[in-house]
Amino acid sequence: MIQIIYHFIVLYLTIHLIWFIIREKKFWNQLSGVIVLVMFLLRLLLIK
Amino acid sequence: MKRHHITALLLLLLAALICYYSGRNFLKMHEEEAVYPSSHLTTKKRLSDYFPGLKNSPGDSSVYIFEGQKEGGTLLILGGTHPNEPAGFITAILLVENIEVKQGRVIIVPRANNSGFMHSDPQEGNPQRYSLGTPSGSRWFRYGSRLTNPIHQWPDPVLYVNPAGQKLSGTESRNLNRSYPGRKHGSLTEKIAYAIMRLIDEEKTDLAVDLHEAAPEYPVINAIVFHENSAELAVITLMTLQMEGVDIRLEASPRNLRGLSHREWGDFSKTHAILLETANTSHGRLKGKPSATLIINGKDKNYQKAAQLGRLFVPFDEDGIPLKQRVSRHLASLRALVSGLYELYPDLLIQIQNVPSPTDVEQAGVGAFLRPPK
Repeated sequence: MIQIIYHFIVLYLTIHLIWFIIREKKFWNQLSGVIVLVMFLLRLLLIK
Repeated sequence: MKRHHITALLLLLLAALICYYSGRNFLKMHEEEAVYPSSHLTTKKRLSDYFPGLKNSPGDSSVYIFEGQKEGGTLLILGGTHPNEPAGFITAILLVENIEVKQGRVIIVPRANNSGFMHSDPQEGNPQRYSLGTPSGSRWFRYGSRLTNPIHQWPDPVLYVNPAGQKLSGTESRNLNRSYPGRKHGSLTEKIAYAIMRLIDEEKTDLAVDLHEAAPEYPVINAIVFHENSAELAVITLMTLQMEGVDIRLEASPRNLRGLSHREWGDFSKTHAILLETANTSHGRLKGKPSATLIINGKDKNYQKAAQLGRLFVPFDEDGIPLKQRVSRHLASLRALVSGLYELYPDLLIQIQNVPSPTDVEQAGVGAFLRPPK
């Protein structure tokens, strides 16, 4: 159960992050978002 | 599509590629190296056969049993209690791949803490693997962590009170060699310890040897650590080794240091409990850059300097302390222990053939005695 809640939280934040990267107009801000996104994707896929 | 949408898509693709590459590399730590047991292997079991609570858990591990045709003593050899101490692990693999037991029984667990093999110590920069060349092709082996993978056992308590009642720092709750005699309903590490205690009892083990390594600056090094019940055996072994020219010392297992194999195996079972230590450069705090080469050749300029300053407990020169020498030392000690056991208890004879000779291992290297990859 805890793992499902955890997955939902990470998924929610990941979707927001992707949405931010798509809307953002400045390249360097997009790149900063991608650096954070990698961590979220690895957590989402439970690569641990 | 606007320009920033195109850059966003390209960057998302880059993120996916980074995830794929790093994820694949990271998950390689979960792969287990191939082991090719000798044709004289009698049975292969799992630790979970002794304690079903470990079944399908990352703590379950292979147990190789070699049985002779005649009755005799039973020897248990544990490698990989600490997966960052490769000489113990490789000695166990070397024996699994070569030996034939004519009398008595030999039980070998190369990956005692299987979970510890599935991650690396953070911030240490240790290599994930090292390779050893066999006569036809090289084989890789995992270099793991001293402790159980925190993914498998989390969080660490602030203070760990182990099954024997000793208070230790929280991270030690993931140290197999602080968790004996284990707990049936405890943490993963305690369950592994419990399974090993069950194995010792059920297989009526007469002699149990835990193979370790330690940093060259650590005082208990090139040593036989013994439980008081095994004092006589340890002294005979010491004399045999010293007559063979092996520089080794004895260390009595302290009665007030609880949770360790040499203490709890002796206290909670009828076995003769012994722990062997060799000096591992790649394990030490004074080393330079960690690498697979350092694990194998054991050469390090910092340690040379430390030896010149008299800071080490073992001699250390430009030749370092290579893996082949450490494995050879473990093999010589095991041979002397088996012969000592027979000297003390003639009905506990364990006759093992095809054990690579320590001298040959030191000269030809470990790989010469490993089976080629299939």
